[in-house]
Amino acid sequence: MNLNDNEQLKLAISRELKSLPELTAPASLASRVMAALERRANLPWHHRSWATWQPALQMASLAAMLALFGGLCFAGWELSRTETIMSAMHRAGQLFSGLNSIGSLFNILAGTAVLVAKKLGSTFIIACLVAAGLGYAVFMGLGTFYFRLAFAKR
Amino acid sequence: MTNAEQFETFMRNYQNMVFSTSMRLLANQSEAEDVTQEVFLKAYENFGRLDGNPAAAGWLKTVATNMSLNHLSRYRSRWSFFSELFGSADGEANEPDFPADDNVEEAMLKTERCALVEQTLQELPPAQRVPLVLFHLEELGYEEIAASLGVSLSKVKTDIFRGREVLRRKLKLKFSADENAA
Repeated sequence: MNLNDNEQLKLAISRELKSLPELTAPASLASRVMAALERRANLPWHHRSWATWQPALQMASLAAMLALFGGLCFAGWELSRTETIMSAMHRAGQLFSGLNSIGSLFNILAGTAVLVAKKLGSTFIIACLVAAGLGYAVFMGLGTFYFRLAFAKR
Repeated sequence: MTNAEQFETFMRNYQNMVFSTSMRLLANQSEAEDVTQEVFLKAYENFGRLDGNPAAAGWLKTVATNMSLNHLSRYRSRWSFFSELFGSADGEANEPDFPADDNVEEAMLKTERCALVEQTLQELPPAQRVPLVLFHLEELGYEEIAASLGVSLSKVKTDIFRGREVLRRKLKLKFSADENAA
């Protein structure tokens, strides 16, 4: 097929597709939409999306949220400076000191993994990674194949 | 006339157009119905500026296209890679059986022809059908299609080319080179 034919094909396909009449929507569609709108209208205002609230309510809720946020920030700042909170934070730090030993355990494991990798050589590691990748691809492929088989149009 | 009645009239005027747009992109009746419903629920929120507006049809078509594409990307992207790998690249796997009549174009009535085009379009793999519909029916450019589908420009061109080739074979479209060869 040459360039001229490509252009002809493009025009012919455009012509064919544009000559298609509109498909007829199911008769039940309008009633479905109207029912959904009615359900939505019957919801109490606080269950509807914020965008549909009255402007006054939107403004009031926005102001309330900002005030709450500001209040929380201020309260957090004030509390962090009190003696009780400082000592509570110190105690919490002690409670979580156990996490340090978990961290050192991970360090040891990572060091061992590096040593094993050096011992085995990079070729072996790459082969393992390639095998794992292939296994994953085969698994995905078979899954997709069975999905398509199960849901194929008949 | 109440607002609800006005909206119902508005919806009945445009429902076929919105449903057709979704159906040609999704090729699935129930999904197209769901998307059409969502489009009109969104239209209701904007009914104040859509009612009596000559741009309403364009707005509805754009929203239907975008919602259909969102639907496709949400529910089908996970299968697209392997569907393209296993489904043959030029859509052979999905070819329906049509009568092998050389003069089919002349012999068919217009309605049958439209049904054939519609069926062939819906049988195309999504990777070919969606860019083809966006190019020929929604009149988007290659770059716009690539951007909205999140794929490369060359893939869009290849998929559209393959989709056209499938349609050419199924619709028995003939051009100068074919005629000379025959």
